[in-house]
Amino acid sequence: MSVAEEVKSSWADEVEEVEGGSLPPPVEKSDGNSKTITEYSFNEEGKKIKIISHYKIEKHRVARQIAKRKTWIKYGLSKNDKPGPNPATTITAEDVFMHFLSNKEEEQIDQEDLKKKLLDQQKGQVKCRLCKEDHWTKQCPYKHKLEPLRTSLYGEEKVEDEPQQGTPGVPPADKTKYVPPSMRDGASKKGESMMSARGRDETATVRVTNLSENTREQDLQELFRPFGDISRIFLAKDKNTGQSKGFAFINFKKREHAAIAIQFLNGFGYDHLILSVEWAKPSGTQ
Amino acid sequence: MKPIMLHGHERSITQIKFNREGDLLFSASKDPKPNVWYSINGERLGTFDGHSGTVWSLDVKWDTSLFVTGSADQTMRIWDVETGVSLECLEQKTSVRGVSFSYSGTMIAYTTDKMMGQNSELIIIDVREPNDIDGTPIMRTQVTPNNSKALSVLWGPLDEFVVTGHEDGSVIKWDMRTGKIMEIGQEHTKQIKDMQLSHDGMMLITASKDTTARLWDITDLEALKQYKTDRPVNSAAITPLVDKYPHVVMGGGQEAMDVTTTSSKIGKFDARFFHLVFEEEFARVKGHFGPINSICFHPNGRGYASGGEDGYIRVHVFDDSYYQFRFDF
Repeated sequence: MSVAEEVKSSWADEVEEVEGGSLPPPVEKSDGNSKTITEYSFNEEGKKIKIISHYKIEKHRVARQIAKRKTWIKYGLSKNDKPGPNPATTITAEDVFMHFLSNKEEEQIDQEDLKKKLLDQQKGQVKCRLCKEDHWTKQCPYKHKLEPLRTSLYGEEKVEDEPQQGTPGVPPADKTKYVPPSMRDGASKKGESMMSARGRDETATVRVTNLSENTREQDLQELFRPFGDISRIFLAKDKNTGQSKGFAFINFKKREHAAIAIQFLNGFGYDHLILSVEWAKPSGTQ
Repeated sequence: MKPIMLHGHERSITQIKFNREGDLLFSASKDPKPNVWYSINGERLGTFDGHSGTVWSLDVKWDTSLFVTGSADQTMRIWDVETGVSLECLEQKTSVRGVSFSYSGTMIAYTTDKMMGQNSELIIIDVREPNDIDGTPIMRTQVTPNNSKALSVLWGPLDEFVVTGHEDGSVIKWDMRTGKIMEIGQEHTKQIKDMQLSHDGMMLITASKDTTARLWDITDLEALKQYKTDRPVNSAAITPLVDKYPHVVMGGGQEAMDVTTTSSKIGKFDARFFHLVFEEEFARVKGHFGPINSICFHPNGRGYASGGEDGYIRVHVFDDSYYQFRFDF
C-alpha cells in the first residue's frame, strides 16, 4: 500500500502540498521610521500570493483632542479592521499634478502672435479684386459699394489671375458648346485616371507630420490657406476612432505656394507639437 | 500630489465634510451608511449603521462629539462620533434634504422635501441635551408653496439667521426666531447644489446647476463674485487661508445621466481652482471618473478632499507648487 501511495504522489505535488497547507507567518520589519510587513495569503484561484506593504511612520504633534480621537476604537463596518489603513477601503492613488493654466494661455498667445506674424509676411499674397487691399474679395468691406459699380463698368468679366477659370486657347464663345469632361478645365488632357491625377498633384504636395490627435481638416485648412489655394487635404485618420493619425497631405494648386508653406511651417509650433512639413514623396517610391 | 482614495461607499457620494480640526473626514453617499475617516492616512474609523435610504447631507458639531445626518428614509439621525451609536432617530413626514449644526452646536436646522402632499419645510430643533432630544421644533416654517423647495441650509453668524438654497436657484435668509424671510438673493437660474461658508463665516459660496458658482456676503445676501464654468457646478468651497491664497475650488461635471453616453475625456470631471477676487480659473486637478459631487478644503488649507459620483473620495495634500504659484494680474 505504501508503495502505491508513493507512485500516486509525485515529488512536485508533495512540495506544493506542504507549502500550500501552511502559510509562513507574516514578517514585520521595523527600521527607524519605516515599516515593512510581508504577508502571505491565497487568492481566489487558490494560488499563494505574497503581499509586501511598506509604511512610512510619521510623527505629528497634535492637539490633545485629536490625539484622543486617534485612540478611539473602530466601529461599524470597520470594527474588525486592524490598526492602520485597511487596503480594501483606503487606496493610495497615482500621482496627480495640479495643472496650472496661466502658462498654457501664455503659450497660446505666443502661438497666436507667431501666426499673426506669419500672416503679416504673407500679406502680399492675398489681394482683393475690388479695392486691391490685402484681404479676400469676399471679405471686402466695400463689397456692397464697389461690386455693383465694378460690374456696371467692366461687365461680368472673369478675373485673369485665376488660371483654372479659363483654359487659354479656348475662346469664351465656346463655353456654350459641349466640352467633354476630359477636355474641361482642371482635367489633364490625357483622360482621367487615378495614377495621372496623383502624378499631377504630387508636384505641389506637402506632407505634414507630428500633428496632434485632435487636428481636423478644418484646422489644416486654416493653417495652410494663407499660403495659397489648396486643391485637396488628406488627413490620415483612424478608422475606428476617427482621430487623426498624426500626418496629413496638403495639395496646393501651385508648387511655389507649397514651397512657401514648407519654408514657414516646418518647425512651427502648433497645438503644443512642432510640425514637420516637407515635400511629399511620390507615391511610386512608397 | 499623491492623493489617498477612500472607497467605503457602494454608491455615489452626496456630501463630505471635515470636522473643525480636520483630523476626521465624514462622508455620506447614496448608500445608507455614512463613513468617518482619519484624514491623515485614510484609515476608516467606522461607519454609522442605521439609515435605510440615501443620506443626503451631514454635519458635525464643532467639538466632534455629535454627528447629524439627513436621509431619504424620512429620518434624521444624531450619532455619537466616538462609538458610532445612533443617539436619536427623528422621524419626519418626508425625506430630510439639508442639515446643519449651528455654530454653537446647540441647534440643528434642517430642510425637508416637498412630496406626498407635504410642503418643504425649514425646521430648527434644540440639541443641548444630546441624550434627551425630543425633536420638537423651536422654529418651523413652510418653504413651499411660496418659494421652491429648500435643499441646503447654513447658519449665519452668531446663530441669528439661517440661509437656505433652493431648487429654483434662489438663496433665502430666514429670521431664526420668527421664521420670516429677511432677504432673498435671486441670482442663480437653476438649482443650488451646494452652499459652504468661508472660514470666518462672513461669506457664502453657492454652487449651482446653471454652471456658475457665486460668492455672497452673508449679512445682506449681496452677490459679490461669479465664477463661470461650462458645466453644472455641484460643489464649491473657499480656502481657509483666504488672506494668503485667495482661492476657491469647484467640482462638477456633466449630469450623471449623461455620463454613460459620453467618453470620460470630455466629461470634465476635474476640480477647478479659481482666484477668489479675479474670478479666473488658474489650475485644475484630474482624478475622478465621474462628476465631483462634494468638495471641501481641509480646515488648515493645506489640502482638499473631493467625493464623486464614482463613489470614491480623494484626499489631496497640496504640493509646494500650489503655494509657489503666483497669480499674475
